[in-house]
Amino acid sequence: MVKVLLYLGCTIPTKQYAYEISARNVLPRLGVELVEFPEAGCCGFPLKGINKNAWIYMSARILSLASMRNLPILALCNGCDTSLRKIKTLLNEDESLRKYMAKLLANEGIELHTDVEVYHVVDLLHDVVGVNKIKELVKKPLTGIKIASYPGCHLLRPSDIPRPEDSVDPRKFDNLLSALGASVGYYPDKGGCCGATMLPYSAKYALRVVAGKIKNIKEFNFDAVSTSCPYCMEMLDAKQDAARSEVGDESISIPVFYLTQLIGLAIGLSPKELGLSLNLSPVEGVLEKLGVSLSG
Amino acid sequence: MLVSLEAKLINRKYLDSVKELVKPHTPQYCYQCAKCTSACTASKVIPEYKPHLIVALTRMGLIKQLLDSGIIWACTECWKCGEYCPQNVAPVEVIIALKNLAVASGYRPPEDLIAMARNVIELGRISPPIEVLSKEFEIYSRESLNLPPLVRPYAHESMRKTLKDLLGGL
Ligand code: SF4
Ligand code: SF4
Repeated sequence: MVKVLLYLGCTIPTKQYAYEISARNVLPRLGVELVEFPEAGCCGFPLKGINKNAWIYMSARILSLASMRNLPILALCNGCDTSLRKIKTLLNEDESLRKYMAKLLANEGIELHTDVEVYHVVDLLHDVVGVNKIKELVKKPLTGIKIASYPGCHLLRPSDIPRPEDSVDPRKFDNLLSALGASVGYYPDKGGCCGATMLPYSAKYALRVVAGKIKNIKEFNFDAVSTSCPYCMEMLDAKQDAARSEVGDESISIPVFYLTQLIGLAIGLSPKELGLSLNLSPVEGVLEKLGVSLSG
Repeated sequence: MLVSLEAKLINRKYLDSVKELVKPHTPQYCYQCAKCTSACTASKVIPEYKPHLIVALTRMGLIKQLLDSGIIWACTECWKCGEYCPQNVAPVEVIIALKNLAVASGYRPPEDLIAMARNVIELGRISPPIEVLSKEFEIYSRESLNLPPLVRPYAHESMRKTLKDLLGGL
């Protein structure tokens, strides 16, 4: 049993509810005890373009609040994971930055601490829970379904800080999918970007990034895509129809699942326990193959 | 001719600010191999977006022209350029520094980014929880999905003040 603070960030608890529902239902069954962490707000990731210190401050805050609770952080979102690990590194390396942030936090009665372990779902499941343990719990293997793992940029990069996955040759996500009985494989855009951060600048170009990615995945004959980042999900799943219209290519269509949803299906949880009716991409075909119905 | 043209366009103050903001990365070390551009997400969909040219303009001090164009906001912060750059220039870090400099100099970032920042200040998150639609057009909320209500972040009042100071007059 491992005990972690469930750090939801922004996008998951305000919009990407299926990730929260599936994580809350799946992780405890794998021996992960989730402790609520409601006092933690945004990690500051979206603020770095406006002011880098605002980003650093927000993550320094989360690290310090977690340290007060004396528990490791589990980040579900790639952006949160990158922020917390990057800011932890920056603060440990830069004494004057640390002093500056400590002063800002002291004004609000928070003592700056960075001695906190940070996990993402992918490395927590792969490195701590372990592939074998997950394998043992599988009741309905995802046999015959070829799934493209899509780690997302900020599970891999920047690689000058500790990352959940290898930045050049990510394998953990695929190992987890294989443990569920699914087929996995290579496609050239695996380490590519979903384009989410481009949305405020131009929806049109961001949708072209999505279209290109789905096209690449389809060229390599995958039946579905799986991600563990709410931004990637939002782009590939919710914006899939818009991406198809943007480039006028009818073939842009593929089911998209959270990793936690696929684990849930394989260990026998119901679609409702996994928030599957919230997926907007065409997931029905894959569910049918598994003998599961959305309404059931 | 070219020399006098450059001298007029170069903005020393901007250049010094960027150099300071991107430390320990150094735009001056760029040898224009364009590996960053060959890896770049934004370049693939916006042909005129080229991180090696952004770095070239930056190290020459032609920063005002770059900020006027607004192109820096197209960067997805995917960090690929940072991985592939053989000189550890990390164009992504240069671009984040340019974005910060633009805001500090009175340029307006994209509206959606401003809205997110305002929400972080006021609510502690980039957005309030929204209602979402399923494919069958059923409406779901945190409440109807039995998810626990969201609370304000720890010491929200003082956080608000600090963030407002850091983010300036957004
Ligand atoms: S971080 Fe920006 S500049 Fe660098 S590769 Fe990604 S989109 Fe291109
Ligand atoms: S990869 Fe690095 S050295 Fe090469 S052009 Fe880009 S910034 Fe310059």
